[in-house]
Amino acid sequence: MKKSNIPESQFELQVPDSLKTEEMTLSMGPQHPSTHGVLQVILKTDGEIITSAKPQIGYLHRCFEKHAENITWHQVIPFTDRLDYIASMNNNLGYVIGLERMMNLEVNERAEHLRVVVSELNRIASHLIALGTYGLDIGAYTPFLYVFRDREKILDLFEEICGARLLYNYIWVGGVAYDAPDGWREKVLEFCDYFDPKVKEYNDILTFNKIFIERTANVGVIPAEVGINYGVSGPSLRGSGVDFDLRRDDPYSIYDRFDFNVITGKGEMGTVGDTWDRYWVRVAEMVESVKIIRQALENLPEGDAKETVPRNIKVPAGEYYMRTETPRGELGFYIISDGSKMPNRVKVRSPAFCNLSVLPAVAPGVMIADLVAIIGSLDIVLGEVDR
Amino acid sequence: MRQYFKNIYEAIATILVGMGVTWRHLFTRAVTIQYPHVKRTLPERSRMQLFVEMDDCIGCMACERACPVDCIEIKTVRGGKDEDLGQTSNGQKKRLHVVQFDIDMGKCCYCSDCVFPCPTGAIRMTPEYEFITYDRSTLLTKFATYSPEEISELEERERKEKEAQAAAKAAKLKAAEEAKKAAAGTDEPKSE
Ligand code: SF4
Ligand code: SF4
Repeated sequence: MKKSNIPESQFELQVPDSLKTEEMTLSMGPQHPSTHGVLQVILKTDGEIITSAKPQIGYLHRCFEKHAENITWHQVIPFTDRLDYIASMNNNLGYVIGLERMMNLEVNERAEHLRVVVSELNRIASHLIALGTYGLDIGAYTPFLYVFRDREKILDLFEEICGARLLYNYIWVGGVAYDAPDGWREKVLEFCDYFDPKVKEYNDILTFNKIFIERTANVGVIPAEVGINYGVSGPSLRGSGVDFDLRRDDPYSIYDRFDFNVITGKGEMGTVGDTWDRYWVRVAEMVESVKIIRQALENLPEGDAKETVPRNIKVPAGEYYMRTETPRGELGFYIISDGSKMPNRVKVRSPAFCNLSVLPAVAPGVMIADLVAIIGSLDIVLGEVDR
Repeated sequence: MRQYFKNIYEAIATILVGMGVTWRHLFTRAVTIQYPHVKRTLPERSRMQLFVEMDDCIGCMACERACPVDCIEIKTVRGGKDEDLGQTSNGQKKRLHVVQFDIDMGKCCYCSDCVFPCPTGAIRMTPEYEFITYDRSTLLTKFATYSPEEISELEERERKEKEAQAAAKAAKLKAAEEAKKAAAGTDEPKSE
Protein backbone atom coordinates (compact mmCIF):
# COMPACT_ATOMS: atom_id res chain seq x y z
CA MET A 1 0.00 0.00 0.00
CA LYS A 2 1.40 3.38 -0.95
CA LYS A 3 -0.24 6.27 0.79
CA SER A 4 1.84 9.05 -0.69
CA ASN A 5 4.92 9.62 -2.73
CA ILE A 6 7.25 8.63 0.07
CA PRO A 7 9.59 5.66 -0.27
CA GLU A 8 8.34 2.46 1.29
CA SER A 9 10.99 2.49 3.98
CA GLN A 10 8.95 4.92 6.02
CA PHE A 11 6.08 2.49 6.29
CA GLU A 12 7.88 -0.28 8.07
CA LEU A 13 6.00 0.56 11.23
CA GLN A 14 2.58 -0.17 9.83
CA VAL A 15 0.14 -1.20 12.51
CA PRO A 16 -1.68 -4.43 11.74
CA ASP A 17 -5.37 -3.87 11.07
CA SER A 18 -6.44 -5.90 14.11
CA LEU A 19 -4.70 -3.42 16.40
CA LYS A 20 -6.21 -0.30 14.86
CA THR A 21 -7.78 2.12 17.28
CA GLU A 22 -9.68 5.32 16.85
CA GLU A 23 -7.92 8.25 15.23
CA MET A 24 -6.80 10.94 17.61
CA THR A 25 -6.40 14.63 16.88
CA LEU A 26 -3.39 16.10 18.55
CA SER A 27 -2.40 19.71 18.64
CA MET A 28 1.34 20.17 18.61
CA GLY A 29 2.37 23.68 19.52
CA PRO A 30 2.15 26.63 19.43
CA GLN A 31 4.20 26.50 22.59
CA HIS A 32 5.99 23.30 21.78
CA PRO A 33 9.73 23.95 22.03
CA SER A 34 10.60 22.02 18.91
CA THR A 35 8.33 23.97 16.61
CA HIS A 36 10.94 26.74 16.49
CA GLY A 37 8.63 29.53 17.42
CA VAL A 38 4.89 29.69 17.38
CA LEU A 39 3.87 27.06 14.92
CA GLN A 40 0.93 24.84 15.58
CA VAL A 41 0.59 21.54 13.82
CA ILE A 42 -2.73 19.74 13.96
CA LEU A 43 -1.94 16.06 13.84
CA LYS A 44 -4.27 13.20 13.17
CA THR A 45 -2.67 10.13 14.61
CA ASP A 46 -3.36 6.48 14.40
CA GLY A 47 -1.66 5.29 17.53
CA GLU A 48 1.87 6.54 17.18
CA ILE A 49 1.68 6.99 13.42
CA ILE A 50 0.66 10.27 11.86
CA THR A 51 -2.06 10.12 9.26
CA SER A 52 -2.19 13.82 8.51
CA ALA A 53 -0.41 16.94 9.64
CA LYS A 54 -1.72 20.42 9.07
CA PRO A 55 0.42 23.41 9.99
CA GLN A 56 -1.51 26.32 11.46
CA ILE A 57 0.37 29.51 10.91
CA GLY A 58 -0.20 33.16 11.57
CA TYR A 59 0.64 33.50 15.24
CA LEU A 60 3.50 35.82 14.40
CA HIS A 61 1.85 37.79 11.63
CA ARG A 62 3.01 41.39 11.69
CA CYS A 63 1.71 42.76 8.41
CA PHE A 64 5.07 43.36 6.85
CA GLU A 65 3.69 43.80 3.36
CA LYS A 66 1.02 46.30 4.38
CA HIS A 67 3.50 48.18 6.55
CA ALA A 68 5.85 48.51 3.63
CA GLU A 69 3.23 50.38 1.66
CA ASN A 70 3.10 53.14 4.25
CA ILE A 71 6.75 53.91 4.84
CA THR A 72 9.52 55.19 2.63
CA TRP A 73 11.80 52.94 0.62
CA HIS A 74 14.60 53.23 3.10
CA GLN A 75 12.42 52.68 6.14
CA VAL A 76 11.45 49.25 4.85
CA ILE A 77 14.97 47.95 5.45
CA PRO A 78 14.65 47.66 9.26
CA PHE A 79 11.40 45.78 8.69
CA THR A 80 13.05 43.27 6.39
CA ASP A 81 15.40 42.52 9.29
CA ARG A 82 12.45 41.17 11.16
CA LEU A 83 11.33 38.68 8.57
CA ASP A 84 13.96 36.09 9.16
CA TYR A 85 15.50 37.39 12.32
CA ILE A 86 18.22 34.77 12.34
CA ALA A 87 19.68 35.91 9.03
CA SER A 88 18.84 39.59 8.83
CA MET A 89 21.77 40.52 6.63
CA ASN A 90 20.58 38.23 3.89
CA ASN A 91 17.11 39.74 4.03
CA ASN A 92 18.49 43.27 3.78
CA LEU A 93 20.54 42.19 0.82
CA GLY A 94 17.62 40.78 -1.15
CA TYR A 95 15.44 43.85 -0.81
CA VAL A 96 18.26 46.30 -1.39
CA ILE A 97 19.59 44.61 -4.51
CA GLY A 98 16.07 44.55 -5.89
CA LEU A 99 15.83 48.31 -5.46
CA GLU A 100 19.29 48.85 -6.89
CA ARG A 101 18.43 46.92 -10.00
CA MET A 102 15.29 49.01 -10.44
CA MET A 103 17.30 52.17 -10.00
CA ASN A 104 20.24 50.99 -12.14
CA LEU A 105 22.58 51.89 -9.33
CA GLU A 106 26.23 50.92 -9.41
CA VAL A 107 27.54 49.98 -6.01
CA ASN A 108 30.98 50.75 -4.70
CA GLU A 109 33.35 47.78 -4.84
CA ARG A 110 34.30 47.89 -1.19
CA ALA A 111 30.66 47.93 -0.17
CA GLU A 112 29.96 44.94 -2.40
CA HIS A 113 32.72 42.95 -0.76
CA LEU A 114 31.60 43.91 2.72
CA ARG A 115 28.07 42.85 1.84
CA VAL A 116 29.21 39.42 0.75
CA VAL A 117 31.31 39.01 3.89
CA VAL A 118 28.49 39.91 6.26
CA SER A 119 25.93 37.83 4.37
CA GLU A 120 28.11 34.76 4.47
CA LEU A 121 28.92 35.32 8.13
CA ASN A 122 25.22 35.53 8.75
CA ARG A 123 24.69 32.34 6.79
CA ILE A 124 27.14 30.58 9.06
CA ALA A 125 25.41 32.01 12.13
CA SER A 126 22.04 30.84 10.85
CA HIS A 127 23.24 27.36 9.98
CA LEU A 128 24.85 27.12 13.41
CA ILE A 129 21.47 27.75 14.98
CA ALA A 130 19.91 25.20 12.66
CA LEU A 131 22.48 22.64 13.77
CA GLY A 132 22.22 23.39 17.45
CA THR A 133 18.47 23.48 17.67
CA TYR A 134 18.21 20.40 15.51
CA GLY A 135 20.38 18.51 17.93
CA LEU A 136 18.31 19.92 20.76
CA ASP A 137 15.07 18.83 19.10
CA ILE A 138 16.09 15.24 19.04
CA GLY A 139 17.76 15.15 22.38
CA ALA A 140 21.39 16.22 22.00
CA TYR A 141 21.89 19.12 24.36
CA THR A 142 25.66 19.66 24.30
CA PRO A 143 26.16 20.62 20.62
CA PHE A 144 23.67 23.42 21.16
CA LEU A 145 26.00 25.10 23.62
CA TYR A 146 28.97 24.64 21.34
CA VAL A 147 27.35 26.25 18.32
CA PHE A 148 26.08 29.15 20.36
CA ARG A 149 29.58 29.77 21.61
CA ASP A 150 30.76 30.13 18.03
CA ARG A 151 27.76 32.07 16.85
CA GLU A 152 28.47 34.55 19.60
CA LYS A 153 31.79 35.29 17.94
CA ILE A 154 29.99 36.19 14.71
CA LEU A 155 27.54 38.40 16.57
CA ASP A 156 30.47 40.18 18.19
CA LEU A 157 31.88 40.87 14.75
CA PHE A 158 28.53 42.25 13.65
CA GLU A 159 28.25 44.37 16.73
CA GLU A 160 31.58 45.89 15.93
CA ILE A 161 30.74 46.71 12.34
CA CYS A 162 27.18 47.97 12.74
CA GLY A 163 26.37 48.14 16.43
CA ALA A 164 23.55 45.63 16.50
CA ARG A 165 23.62 41.96 17.34
CA LEU A 166 20.50 40.65 15.69
CA LEU A 167 18.61 43.21 13.64
CA TYR A 168 21.26 45.00 11.71
CA ASN A 169 19.78 47.47 9.21
CA TYR A 170 23.28 47.35 7.78
CA ILE A 171 22.98 46.86 4.04
CA TRP A 172 21.61 50.01 2.48
CA VAL A 173 20.62 50.98 -1.01
CA GLY A 174 23.87 51.89 -2.73
CA GLY A 175 26.20 50.53 -0.11
CA VAL A 176 26.33 49.77 3.56
CA ALA A 177 25.51 51.80 6.65
CA TYR A 178 28.98 51.83 8.14
CA ASP A 179 32.40 51.15 6.75
CA ALA A 180 34.35 48.39 8.45
CA PRO A 181 36.30 49.70 11.45
CA ASP A 182 40.08 49.33 11.62
CA GLY A 183 41.16 45.81 12.27
CA TRP A 184 37.79 44.27 11.47
CA ARG A 185 39.12 42.45 8.42
CA GLU A 186 41.83 40.78 10.49
CA LYS A 187 39.29 39.79 13.11
CA VAL A 188 37.12 38.09 10.52
CA LEU A 189 40.10 36.23 9.12
CA GLU A 190 40.96 35.20 12.64
CA PHE A 191 37.44 33.90 13.06
CA CYS A 192 37.76 31.89 9.83
CA ASP A 193 40.91 30.25 11.15
CA TYR A 194 39.16 29.56 14.42
CA PHE A 195 36.06 28.20 12.79
CA ASP A 196 37.52 25.61 10.41
CA PRO A 197 38.57 23.12 13.10
CA LYS A 198 35.29 23.66 14.93
CA VAL A 199 33.35 22.02 12.11
CA LYS A 200 35.23 18.83 12.83
CA GLU A 201 34.21 19.19 16.44
CA TYR A 202 30.52 19.35 15.49
CA ASN A 203 30.98 16.34 13.27
CA ASP A 204 32.59 14.38 16.07
CA ILE A 205 30.04 15.28 18.62
CA LEU A 206 26.87 15.16 16.54
CA THR A 207 26.99 14.53 12.80
CA PHE A 208 28.60 11.11 12.81
CA ASN A 209 27.23 9.98 16.13
CA LYS A 210 25.60 6.62 15.54
CA ILE A 211 22.58 7.42 17.63
CA PHE A 212 22.05 10.66 15.77
CA ILE A 213 22.36 8.88 12.45
CA GLU A 214 19.90 6.21 13.48
CA ARG A 215 17.52 8.93 14.51
CA THR A 216 17.74 10.98 11.32
CA ALA A 217 18.75 8.80 8.40
CA ASN A 218 15.85 7.44 6.32
CA VAL A 219 13.46 9.71 8.17
CA GLY A 220 11.32 12.32 6.46
CA VAL A 221 12.51 11.67 2.95
CA ILE A 222 11.58 14.43 0.52
CA PRO A 223 12.10 13.09 -3.00
CA ALA A 224 13.48 15.69 -5.39
CA GLU A 225 10.34 16.02 -7.49
CA VAL A 226 8.12 16.43 -4.41
CA GLY A 227 10.46 19.12 -3.13
CA ILE A 228 10.38 20.97 -6.42
CA ASN A 229 6.63 20.68 -6.74
CA TYR A 230 6.12 22.19 -3.32
CA GLY A 231 8.56 25.01 -3.97
CA VAL A 232 11.08 23.89 -1.39
CA SER A 233 14.35 25.72 -1.81
CA GLY A 234 17.71 26.25 -0.22
CA PRO A 235 19.52 23.62 1.82
CA SER A 236 16.28 21.68 2.20
CA LEU A 237 16.04 21.21 -1.55
CA ARG A 238 19.75 20.58 -1.99
CA GLY A 239 19.42 17.90 0.64
CA SER A 240 17.17 16.10 -1.81
CA GLY A 241 19.97 16.07 -4.33
CA VAL A 242 18.87 19.00 -6.48
CA ASP A 243 21.90 20.99 -7.51
CA PHE A 244 20.45 24.48 -7.35
CA ASP A 245 21.90 27.49 -5.64
CA LEU A 246 20.94 31.02 -6.64
CA ARG A 247 24.35 32.30 -5.70
CA ARG A 248 25.73 30.30 -8.59
CA ASP A 249 22.76 29.88 -10.91
CA ASP A 250 21.38 33.42 -10.84
CA PRO A 251 24.26 35.42 -9.46
CA TYR A 252 23.60 38.68 -7.67
CA SER A 253 25.99 41.10 -6.01
CA ILE A 254 29.48 39.80 -6.82
CA TYR A 255 28.94 36.12 -6.10
CA ASP A 256 29.97 35.17 -9.64
CA ARG A 257 33.56 36.07 -8.79
CA PHE A 258 33.98 33.53 -6.04
CA ASP A 259 34.86 29.94 -6.22
CA PHE A 260 32.71 27.67 -4.08
CA ASN A 261 30.94 24.35 -4.30
CA VAL A 262 27.23 23.80 -4.13
CA ILE A 263 26.59 21.01 -1.67
CA THR A 264 23.91 18.45 -2.37
CA GLY A 265 22.65 15.51 -0.40
CA LYS A 266 23.96 12.15 -1.54
CA GLY A 267 22.21 9.81 0.82
CA GLU A 268 25.45 8.80 2.51
CA MET A 269 23.71 7.52 5.63
CA GLY A 270 20.42 6.43 4.14
CA THR A 271 18.13 7.70 1.43
CA VAL A 272 18.75 10.82 -0.62
CA GLY A 273 16.64 13.61 0.82
CA ASP A 274 16.31 12.33 4.36
CA THR A 275 16.72 14.59 7.34
CA TRP A 276 20.34 13.66 7.80
CA ASP A 277 21.11 14.86 4.27
CA ARG A 278 19.46 18.19 4.89
CA TYR A 279 21.42 18.53 8.08
CA TRP A 280 24.65 17.58 6.36
CA VAL A 281 24.15 20.11 3.56
CA ARG A 282 24.11 22.83 6.19
CA VAL A 283 27.26 21.62 7.87
CA ALA A 284 29.13 21.44 4.59
CA GLU A 285 27.76 24.78 3.44
CA MET A 286 29.33 26.52 6.39
CA VAL A 287 32.73 25.43 5.17
CA GLU A 288 31.93 26.83 1.73
CA SER A 289 30.84 30.11 3.28
CA VAL A 290 34.16 30.39 5.06
CA LYS A 291 35.80 29.91 1.67
CA ILE A 292 33.79 32.76 0.18
CA ILE A 293 34.57 35.03 3.11
CA ARG A 294 38.28 34.36 2.72
CA GLN A 295 38.19 35.19 -0.98
CA ALA A 296 36.16 38.34 -0.46
CA LEU A 297 38.44 39.60 2.27
CA GLU A 298 41.55 38.85 0.24
CA ASN A 299 40.43 41.26 -2.46
CA LEU A 300 38.76 43.75 -0.17
CA PRO A 301 39.51 47.02 -1.97
CA GLU A 302 40.28 50.27 -0.22
CA GLY A 303 37.82 53.10 -0.54
CA ASP A 304 34.73 54.55 0.98
CA ALA A 305 31.93 52.03 1.37
CA LYS A 306 29.34 54.79 1.64
CA GLU A 307 30.38 56.55 -1.53
CA THR A 308 27.45 55.42 -3.66
CA VAL A 309 24.69 55.70 -1.04
CA PRO A 310 22.16 58.12 -2.57
CA ARG A 311 20.72 60.93 -0.48
CA ASN A 312 17.22 60.29 -1.71
CA ILE A 313 16.01 57.00 -3.01
CA LYS A 314 14.08 57.56 -6.20
CA VAL A 315 12.77 54.36 -7.65
CA PRO A 316 11.41 54.68 -11.18
CA ALA A 317 7.94 53.30 -11.75
CA GLY A 318 7.98 49.64 -12.61
CA GLU A 319 8.16 46.25 -11.03
CA TYR A 320 10.89 43.78 -10.30
CA TYR A 321 11.21 40.35 -8.79
CA MET A 322 14.46 39.87 -6.98
CA ARG A 323 15.42 36.49 -5.63
CA THR A 324 18.39 35.77 -3.45
CA GLU A 325 19.69 32.77 -1.62
CA THR A 326 19.22 33.13 2.10
CA PRO A 327 20.20 30.39 4.55
CA ARG A 328 16.66 29.10 4.23
CA GLY A 329 16.32 29.22 0.49
CA GLU A 330 15.00 31.43 -2.23
CA LEU A 331 13.88 34.72 -0.73
CA GLY A 332 11.99 36.74 -3.31
CA PHE A 333 10.97 40.37 -3.13
CA TYR A 334 8.41 41.38 -5.70
CA ILE A 335 8.63 45.15 -5.67
CA ILE A 336 6.20 47.45 -7.45
CA SER A 337 6.98 51.13 -7.63
CA ASP A 338 4.78 53.92 -8.90
CA GLY A 339 7.63 56.38 -8.79
CA SER A 340 6.65 57.92 -5.46
CA LYS A 341 8.70 57.87 -2.31
CA MET A 342 6.94 54.83 -0.90
CA PRO A 343 6.65 51.34 -2.30
CA ASN A 344 3.38 50.56 -3.98
CA ARG A 345 3.70 46.92 -3.04
CA VAL A 346 6.37 44.68 -1.61
CA LYS A 347 5.46 41.03 -1.78
CA VAL A 348 7.68 38.55 -0.07
CA ARG A 349 8.16 35.04 -1.31
CA SER A 350 9.44 33.56 1.87
CA PRO A 351 11.47 30.37 1.72
CA ALA A 352 10.49 29.18 5.17
CA PHE A 353 6.81 29.36 4.27
CA CYS A 354 7.29 27.30 1.12
CA ASN A 355 9.53 24.83 2.88
CA LEU A 356 6.96 24.34 5.59
CA SER A 357 4.27 23.66 3.00
CA VAL A 358 5.87 20.32 2.19
CA LEU A 359 5.18 19.07 5.70
CA PRO A 360 1.66 17.72 5.03
CA ALA A 361 3.11 15.75 2.13
CA VAL A 362 5.88 14.01 4.05
CA ALA A 363 4.30 13.66 7.47
CA PRO A 364 1.75 10.89 6.80
CA GLY A 365 3.17 7.58 7.85
CA VAL A 366 5.90 8.77 10.20
CA MET A 367 6.00 8.51 13.97
CA ILE A 368 5.16 11.55 16.08
CA ALA A 369 8.72 11.76 17.37
CA ASP A 370 10.03 11.78 13.82
CA LEU A 371 7.84 14.72 12.93
CA VAL A 372 9.96 16.79 15.30
CA ALA A 373 13.02 15.69 13.37
CA ILE A 374 11.38 16.64 10.07
CA ILE A 375 10.31 20.11 11.20
CA GLY A 376 13.76 20.69 12.65
CA SER A 377 15.47 19.66 9.45
CA LEU A 378 13.39 22.08 7.37
CA ASP A 379 14.87 24.86 9.51
CA ILE A 380 11.91 27.21 9.46
CA VAL A 381 11.82 30.60 11.13
CA LEU A 382 8.32 31.59 12.08
CA GLY A 383 9.03 35.26 11.66
CA GLU A 384 9.39 34.59 8.00
CA VAL A 385 6.60 32.05 7.65
CA ASP A 386 4.05 34.51 9.02
CA ARG A 387 5.70 37.81 8.07
CA MET B 1 22.98 -10.62 14.52
CA ARG B 2 26.38 -9.29 13.53
CA GLN B 3 24.75 -6.07 12.43
CA TYR B 4 23.16 -5.76 15.85
CA PHE B 5 26.45 -5.92 17.70
CA LYS B 6 28.11 -3.73 15.10
CA ASN B 7 25.49 -1.07 15.77
CA ILE B 8 26.09 -1.24 19.48
CA TYR B 9 29.81 -1.04 18.96
CA GLU B 10 29.47 1.96 16.63
CA ALA B 11 27.14 3.77 18.98
CA ILE B 12 29.56 3.38 21.87
CA ALA B 13 32.57 4.29 19.76
CA THR B 14 31.00 7.46 18.37
CA ILE B 15 29.77 8.45 21.81
CA LEU B 16 33.32 8.13 23.06
CA VAL B 17 34.52 10.32 20.19
CA GLY B 18 31.98 12.91 21.23
CA MET B 19 32.95 12.55 24.86
CA GLY B 20 36.53 13.19 23.77
CA VAL B 21 35.45 16.58 22.50
CA THR B 22 33.66 17.48 25.71
CA TRP B 23 36.57 16.12 27.76
CA ARG B 24 39.01 18.36 25.94
CA HIS B 25 36.68 21.22 26.69
CA LEU B 26 37.05 20.72 30.38
CA PHE B 27 40.52 22.17 30.09
CA THR B 28 39.71 25.26 28.07
CA ARG B 29 38.82 28.59 29.56
CA ALA B 30 35.16 29.35 30.01
CA VAL B 31 33.77 31.74 27.42
CA THR B 32 30.88 32.90 29.59
CA ILE B 33 31.14 35.77 32.02
CA GLN B 34 29.32 36.31 35.30
CA TYR B 35 27.16 39.08 33.96
CA PRO B 36 26.08 41.47 36.67
CA HIS B 37 29.50 41.24 38.31
CA VAL B 38 31.58 41.24 35.15
CA LYS B 39 30.56 43.39 32.24
CA ARG B 40 31.71 43.45 28.66
CA THR B 41 32.80 46.74 27.24
CA LEU B 42 30.71 47.24 24.16
CA PRO B 43 32.13 48.61 20.93
CA GLU B 44 31.51 52.30 20.43
CA ARG B 45 29.09 51.69 17.56
CA SER B 46 26.76 49.72 19.79
CA ARG B 47 23.17 50.67 19.18
CA MET B 48 21.55 50.73 22.57
CA GLN B 49 19.87 53.67 24.27
CA LEU B 50 19.34 56.85 22.31
CA PHE B 51 20.75 60.09 23.58
CA VAL B 52 20.08 63.62 22.39
CA GLU B 53 22.45 66.46 23.09
CA MET B 54 19.85 69.20 23.38
CA ASP B 55 22.42 72.00 23.10
CA ASP B 56 23.17 70.77 19.59
CA CYS B 57 19.66 70.16 18.37
CA ILE B 58 18.37 72.74 15.93
CA GLY B 59 14.89 71.30 15.79
CA CYS B 60 14.95 70.45 12.10
CA MET B 61 12.88 67.30 12.67
CA ALA B 62 14.92 65.27 10.21
CA CYS B 63 15.15 62.49 12.77
CA GLU B 64 11.41 62.50 13.38
CA ARG B 65 10.76 62.08 9.67
CA ALA B 66 13.32 59.31 9.30
CA CYS B 67 11.96 57.12 12.07
CA PRO B 68 10.07 54.15 10.66
CA VAL B 69 7.97 53.62 13.77
CA ASP B 70 7.23 57.26 14.63
CA CYS B 71 8.55 57.13 18.16
CA ILE B 72 10.13 60.59 18.20
CA GLU B 73 7.96 63.57 18.95
CA ILE B 74 9.37 67.05 18.56
CA LYS B 75 7.73 70.40 19.09
CA THR B 76 9.45 73.66 18.37
CA VAL B 77 8.74 77.32 18.97
CA ARG B 78 10.38 79.98 16.88
CA GLY B 79 12.92 82.13 18.70
CA GLY B 80 12.33 85.85 19.06
CA LYS B 81 13.68 88.27 16.48
CA ASP B 82 16.69 89.43 18.42
CA GLU B 83 17.01 86.50 20.74
CA ASP B 84 20.32 84.65 20.57
CA LEU B 85 19.87 80.93 21.08
CA GLY B 86 23.55 80.17 20.65
CA GLN B 87 25.28 77.85 18.28
CA THR B 88 25.62 74.11 17.97
CA SER B 89 29.00 72.50 18.36
CA ASN B 90 29.48 72.39 14.60
CA GLY B 91 28.71 76.05 14.19
CA GLN B 92 25.08 76.05 13.07
CA LYS B 93 22.95 78.86 14.36
CA LYS B 94 19.99 77.77 16.45
CA ARG B 95 16.74 79.47 15.52
CA LEU B 96 14.14 77.36 17.26
CA HIS B 97 13.35 76.53 20.85
CA VAL B 98 12.97 72.77 20.98
CA VAL B 99 10.35 72.67 23.70
CA GLN B 100 9.52 69.02 23.40
CA PHE B 101 11.75 66.15 22.38
CA ASP B 102 10.33 62.79 23.44
CA ILE B 103 11.58 59.42 22.38
CA ASP B 104 9.53 56.42 23.33
CA MET B 105 12.20 53.80 23.88
CA GLY B 106 9.46 51.24 24.27
CA LYS B 107 8.51 51.71 20.63
CA CYS B 108 12.00 52.24 19.28
CA CYS B 109 13.32 49.42 17.15
CA TYR B 110 16.96 50.48 17.47
CA CYS B 111 17.44 50.80 13.75
CA SER B 112 19.46 54.02 14.10
CA ASP B 113 17.81 55.52 11.02
CA CYS B 114 17.32 58.72 12.99
CA VAL B 115 21.02 59.13 13.67
CA PHE B 116 22.22 59.49 10.09
CA PRO B 117 20.14 62.42 8.81
CA CYS B 118 20.85 64.67 11.80
CA PRO B 119 22.80 67.68 10.50
CA THR B 120 24.47 68.42 13.82
CA GLY B 121 25.06 64.97 15.29
CA ALA B 122 22.85 65.80 18.23
CA ILE B 123 21.02 62.49 18.33
CA ARG B 124 23.10 59.38 18.71
CA MET B 125 23.00 55.86 20.04
CA THR B 126 25.01 55.05 23.11
CA PRO B 127 26.37 51.73 24.36
CA GLU B 128 24.22 52.16 27.48
CA TYR B 129 21.98 49.12 27.70
CA GLU B 130 20.88 48.87 31.31
CA PHE B 131 17.68 50.84 31.29
CA ILE B 132 15.12 48.23 32.19
CA THR B 133 12.22 49.48 34.26
CA TYR B 134 9.22 48.04 36.00
CA ASP B 135 6.89 50.51 34.35
CA ARG B 136 6.59 50.85 30.64
CA SER B 137 5.67 54.52 30.78
CA THR B 138 9.10 55.40 32.15
CA LEU B 139 10.59 54.33 28.84
CA LEU B 140 9.27 57.55 27.37
CA THR B 141 12.43 59.62 27.56
CA LYS B 142 12.06 63.38 27.59
CA PHE B 143 15.09 65.33 26.52
CA ALA B 144 13.76 68.89 26.40
CA THR B 145 14.58 70.97 29.46
CA TYR B 146 11.83 73.57 29.22
CA SER B 147 9.37 73.84 32.09
CA PRO B 148 5.64 74.04 31.28
CA GLU B 149 5.54 77.72 32.27
CA GLU B 150 8.40 78.53 29.96
CA ILE B 151 6.71 76.66 27.16
CA SER B 152 3.42 78.47 27.59
CA GLU B 153 5.29 81.76 27.80
CA LEU B 154 7.17 81.01 24.60
CA GLU B 155 4.02 79.87 22.89
CA GLU B 156 2.20 82.97 24.01
CA ARG B 157 4.97 85.11 22.63
CA GLU B 158 4.99 83.21 19.37
CA ARG B 159 1.26 83.63 19.09
CA LYS B 160 1.53 87.35 19.73
CA GLU B 161 4.33 87.68 17.23
CA LYS B 162 2.33 85.80 14.71
CA GLU B 163 -0.67 87.97 15.36
CA ALA B 164 1.44 91.07 15.03
CA GLN B 165 2.85 89.72 11.82
CA ALA B 166 -0.58 88.87 10.52
CA ALA B 167 -1.82 92.33 11.47
CA ALA B 168 1.15 93.93 9.77
CA LYS B 169 0.50 91.83 6.70
CA ALA B 170 -3.17 92.72 6.69
CA ALA B 171 -2.33 96.37 7.10
CA LYS B 172 0.10 96.13 4.23
CA LEU B 173 -2.49 94.47 2.04
CA LYS B 174 -5.05 97.07 2.96
CA ALA B 175 -2.64 99.86 2.22
CA ALA B 176 -1.82 98.33 -1.12
CA GLU B 177 -5.48 98.01 -1.94
CA GLU B 178 -6.21 101.56 -0.94
CA ALA B 179 -3.33 102.78 -3.01
CA LYS B 180 -4.74 100.85 -5.93
CA LYS B 181 -8.18 102.29 -5.36
CA ALA B 182 -6.76 105.73 -5.06
CA ALA B 183 -4.90 105.21 -8.29
CA ALA B 184 -8.10 103.98 -9.91
CA GLY B 185 -9.94 106.97 -8.41
CA THR B 186 -7.57 109.40 -10.00
CA ASP B 187 -7.88 107.59 -13.26
CA GLU B 188 -11.62 107.83 -13.44
CA PRO B 189 -12.11 111.55 -13.84
CA LYS B 190 -9.62 111.56 -16.71
CA SER B 191 -11.67 109.20 -18.82
CA GLU B 192 -14.81 111.22 -18.32
S1 SF4 C 1 16.48 54.12 16.37
FE1 SF4 C 1 14.99 53.84 14.73
S2 SF4 C 1 13.08 53.39 15.79
FE2 SF4 C 1 14.48 54.25 17.32
S3 SF4 C 1 14.02 56.44 17.34
FE3 SF4 C 1 15.69 56.14 15.88
S4 SF4 C 1 14.70 55.89 13.89
FE4 SF4 C 1 13.12 55.60 15.47
S1 SF4 D 1 17.79 65.70 13.29
FE1 SF4 D 1 19.21 66.35 14.90
S2 SF4 D 1 19.04 68.59 14.90
FE2 SF4 D 1 17.28 67.81 13.74
S3 SF4 D 1 15.63 67.68 15.28
FE3 SF4 D 1 16.64 65.66 15.21
S4 SF4 D 1 18.21 65.77 16.81
FE4 SF4 D 1 17.57 67.84 16.42
